[in-house]
Amino acid sequence: MAHQPNEASATASAATKPKPDRATDPRNPRLRLAEFFDEGSLELITPEDDSGMLAAVGTCQGTPVAAFCSDATIMGGAMGVAGCKVVLAAYERALADGIPVVGIWHSGGARLPEGVVSLHAVGEVFAIMTRASGKIPQISVVIGAAAGGAAYGPALTDIVILAPDGRIFVTGPDVVRSVTGEAVDALRLGGPEPHGRRSGVVHVVTESTEQAYERGRQLCSLLADQGTLDVSGIEDLDLEETFPESAKRAYDVHPVVDNVLDKDADSVELHPRWAPNIVTQLGRFGGRTVGVIANNPMRLGGCLDSPSAEKAARFVRMCDAFGVPLIVLVDVPGYLPGVGQEWDGVVRRGAKLLHAFAEATVPRVTLVTRKTYGGAYIAMNSRSLGATKVFAWPTAHVAVMGSVAAIRILHRRRLAEVDDAERAAVEQQLADEHDLMSGGLARAVEIGVVDEIVEPTATRSALATAIAEAPQRRGDHGNIPL
Amino acid sequence: MPHHVVSDLVANVLSIAVQVGDTVEVGAEIALLESMKMEIPVLTEEAGTVSEVKVEVGDVVQEGDILAIIE
Repeated sequence: MAHQPNEASATASAATKPKPDRATDPRNPRLRLAEFFDEGSLELITPEDDSGMLAAVGTCQGTPVAAFCSDATIMGGAMGVAGCKVVLAAYERALADGIPVVGIWHSGGARLPEGVVSLHAVGEVFAIMTRASGKIPQISVVIGAAAGGAAYGPALTDIVILAPDGRIFVTGPDVVRSVTGEAVDALRLGGPEPHGRRSGVVHVVTESTEQAYERGRQLCSLLADQGTLDVSGIEDLDLEETFPESAKRAYDVHPVVDNVLDKDADSVELHPRWAPNIVTQLGRFGGRTVGVIANNPMRLGGCLDSPSAEKAARFVRMCDAFGVPLIVLVDVPGYLPGVGQEWDGVVRRGAKLLHAFAEATVPRVTLVTRKTYGGAYIAMNSRSLGATKVFAWPTAHVAVMGSVAAIRILHRRRLAEVDDAERAAVEQQLADEHDLMSGGLARAVEIGVVDEIVEPTATRSALATAIAEAPQRRGDHGNIPL
Repeated sequence: MPHHVVSDLVANVLSIAVQVGDTVEVGAEIALLESMKMEIPVLTEEAGTVSEVKVEVGDVVQEGDILAIIE
């Protein structure tokens, strides 16, 4: 066959040359940028040279985006003065045009031979990332090792996507071994499992590099091309359909989130495996980009705890900075009790969520599906924190605590005298009386902490109207990686 | 590697849905826990055969306790 001689000669040249041809090396940053952007849209804005970085503009689902990519064919993608200038060029272009900037990372960090001057240059990259924070969306796609300075670059951005070969760590396995004696490989130190589940460093873990680029394009479109909410196009459906019959039974909230959001539109869940007791997801609602925050009773009963409050707080602040309205789906039994939580700073970290919601100026609408109790009631975008509107389903409970738990405290002495056999019945009777006296949902409406009771079958349109009628504002602040 | 199905939180074991030797698919319910006034099913993230069930109905489990092992 005609192509056989060519293949043979390519193999021969690869054997004689220590490195693959740069033009066809899959690590070539021009090839990577071309693969990332919409096909044929790549336009380089810096020269292809030995700087270790390459910057370009292009489009993602038609929306203009700036990007830079490590050149892993040179010194493992290490960042020196010239390479950092390339990153600055991408940022300056993105800031001038008001478009997202995407970093494609494969870099061992600062260039050792350049000494401190390279640290200074990397620091300047961090500074411009911080200046851009909250002004333009910043997305990182980590497709190889991102170590040291190259780890903190992605960490300063709004969303970090990790491909299967991506590794993020401050110090690599060799340094860890020499300093602490711990034997660990790069995968366990900074791969998809630790960062997707334990550290919260990574928002999106993907199954392939190609999928990492695709998620990057979707997120650019969701954040930079938000569209307008078409209320007339909103179809109602029975959102209660996916709930279990028993109010005590836990359930996975993902189908509810999917039913609230538009079907057949891009949707990206952030941090799906870290702090899974709260769901944070970007998607479209009536064609417009929205952020959904939902307690997930399947995990920790849907309780708020330190990591979930932090995760939600950062999501709220990101959405607020970019003018993305929020839909908050509440079914929360409270904050998770325990020594571990208190020592882990649930008070400090939980306060971040209070701060984030109270500060937010985007339209933010709350729906109480089953229950909302105690401190978590306040934290989940309550009326007091300035919710645009608070809806509740007819059977929802809004209270300081569940009524059985409440009467066990209020009627402790009386219950102590009751026979074990009768206790459940007496508790239920007291709980029913307590509900009547405290007023339940009707009282919540009367005092104005719930604006409206809506049927599950009329909820989507109610949410849409509330968002559409609210002033479309966005917060004036950065998105510090909380 | 065997997969450990663990409890996320302090809870009472209400029921156990599997026995040693059972074959389970991803997402199968292993046990039903009660905590925070809720009944919370614990599902397996891996498919396989149940090689060990470490708890009994009525036990109180702590965060991180192994409920069952799937090979």
